[in-house]
Amino acid sequence: MTDIDHPETFRGLPVFTLPGPSDEHTEPLPAADAVAWRLESAWQDGLTFDLLWRHFLDTVDTTRVRALLVGPWWQEEYTPFGPVIALLTAHAERLPALRALFLADVVSEECELSWLEMADITPVVEAFEGLEELTVRGCGEQGALALRPVRHPALRSLRFESGGLPSALVRAIGASELPALERLELWLGVTEYGGDATVGDLAPLLSGAGFPRLRHLGLQNSEIQDEIAAAIASAPVVTRLESLSLAMGTLGDTGAEALLSGQPLTHLAALDLHHHYISDPLIKRLAALVGPDRVNGELDEAEYWDAEEDEERYVAISE
Amino acid sequence: MSRSASSGPGGPPGAAPRFAVVGVPGNRRVTLFGDAVRAAGLPAVRVVPWLDVLRGTAAFRPDETVRLDSPGEDPGVERLLRAVEDPTRVEGTALWYARFTAAVREVARAAEEAGATLLDSPQEVTVLFDKRLCHAVLHGAGVPVPASPTSGAQAPAVRGWADVRALMTAHGMPRVFVKLAHGSSASGVLALETAGPGRVRATTSVERDAGGRLFNSLRLRRCTTEREVAAIVDALAPDGLHVERWLPKATVRGRAADLRVVVVAGRATHAVVRTSRSPLTNLHLGGERGDLDGIRAAVRESGGSWEDALSVCERAAARFPDTLCVGVDLLPSTGWRRFAVGEVNAFGDLLPRLTGLKGSGAEGQDTYAAQVAAVLNRAGNHRATAPS
Repeated sequence: MTDIDHPETFRGLPVFTLPGPSDEHTEPLPAADAVAWRLESAWQDGLTFDLLWRHFLDTVDTTRVRALLVGPWWQEEYTPFGPVIALLTAHAERLPALRALFLADVVSEECELSWLEMADITPVVEAFEGLEELTVRGCGEQGALALRPVRHPALRSLRFESGGLPSALVRAIGASELPALERLELWLGVTEYGGDATVGDLAPLLSGAGFPRLRHLGLQNSEIQDEIAAAIASAPVVTRLESLSLAMGTLGDTGAEALLSGQPLTHLAALDLHHHYISDPLIKRLAALVGPDRVNGELDEAEYWDAEEDEERYVAISE
Repeated sequence: MSRSASSGPGGPPGAAPRFAVVGVPGNRRVTLFGDAVRAAGLPAVRVVPWLDVLRGTAAFRPDETVRLDSPGEDPGVERLLRAVEDPTRVEGTALWYARFTAAVREVARAAEEAGATLLDSPQEVTVLFDKRLCHAVLHGAGVPVPASPTSGAQAPAVRGWADVRALMTAHGMPRVFVKLAHGSSASGVLALETAGPGRVRATTSVERDAGGRLFNSLRLRRCTTEREVAAIVDALAPDGLHVERWLPKATVRGRAADLRVVVVAGRATHAVVRTSRSPLTNLHLGGERGDLDGIRAAVRESGGSWEDALSVCERAAARFPDTLCVGVDLLPSTGWRRFAVGEVNAFGDLLPRLTGLKGSGAEGQDTYAAQVAAVLNRAGNHRATAPS
């Protein structure tokens, strides 16, 4: 199971990376509303994101663009994301049809998640009122990734892919008014990379009060996955869910037992637990309870080994 | 000076070539080549052990066509070339290079003296087994390669971590590969990234024990402190280091991808995709063979050209005209539109059972059969053009 990737499709559209101004690209560009546009400026001989953005505005009918992904935005040395946020926000009126936005479609081959110098994304959320889907990738080390509580009438899917999601951001999501929100996925990460949210910070999400239409909840990739599972076992939001993910974290038998002895989960069409530390008998009991074809109990192999630093249990995505 | 491979096989014009392989007896490379020769209906290959070459007892016959194969996977040969007891040790590649290139020169001399034809060139071997020289040759010929501050014979030697760090800063390269100048199979390679002072991360197959000795490990390691990285780089440096920009590779389902393209007699004949979740795609380090058709489709869909990608490999191989076969590591950049050559390998043809690319002329042939066919083809051309 691969958790971090360049998506091949986004919002149901094939992802197409815009050729740079000096790219020898002879094929005609696809129709503006036929693809999800991906902008990447890095490692292209002096191309800046600013230049690429202007090239995008000049060569694509942006009034019809429905989905946009921002890839590596720096040149050689990593740079902060703030200027990209400012550009997007300043030209929001040029993208009236934008429904889906992916901020920082970057994989570790390009920059480690925890090194992405993310920014406060609130201006973008506020500027694009028609936005229905927002994915944000990056960590909160040094507090760079931030969000203030927002009210957004259209947002249906919100996902944060992170090796460390700041507690302030988690609280801001809980304090936001997102009446249309159907899918919420938070990769909480580890304290070492700024993921300092506690179960207490998740309380508004677990109550389900702020998001009346929520159908999918993912509280995953956490080093306190057992505690989260214990909270889920009695969380009011669960009865409204169609699917739940507690995957990618350090979920072990403690969490599994809490789920088994807690409120019914049999209404779930999918329970994603992939990358876990649950013993075989307990994962089988969970599968039997919810339905074997509804539980993803896949294990993951370690990719790296750092003898000085690694502990026995680790989350799928951190650095 | 050996007779060049392009002058046709030894022996009288029109005679079936008789192959000799300088290699490790019983090694699969030698076996696979022998199988291809037999399948072509030619006389059995005569194996000339590297051990004999190194002991000065190797001899060739006047009608022979001599192929060099890898001296690897033989502890006795390794000991003589590298002066280490444990073949999993990383150190000793500078000595290996000096002794190996001298041995190849000796093969060429003995072959020439006997009137045999060598399918490789000692001069080109000297370049192919020095990543700094190889980089300069490719760069000088306009073949796209990742930028390098250690390119060519004139570049200053890298004496340790302090030098690497200084080069990275001076050349604005926060992400580089640090490689042994004479390494192979990702031995002694670090994929190194930095961001500002003190932030460093390296992925490597090098394992450093408490006594400071270096070993090739099948398990990739992450080093996240400058102290760890410096200790490894400092220990590698005496054998010679090559530094080049780490261009992010294109990814397939979260796995970085590159290609090994085999070029035989100037023609790209075979290609495999290697994908990995780590920056090192070598198969023994967790890399997997990927789906070539999928890659071709990805290149096409992104507006790139598969033919251009292959022609980059052929242009790289063309810098080694007296070497019958090379394996080119081709690095696709993210987005699949640009390609660069990572390395050119003299013994890069070990891809058992892989058959040739459509339209390459080697359809249905493995890399060894394609080389035998190329030699026969040259013999045919030689016969056709020889005055009657």
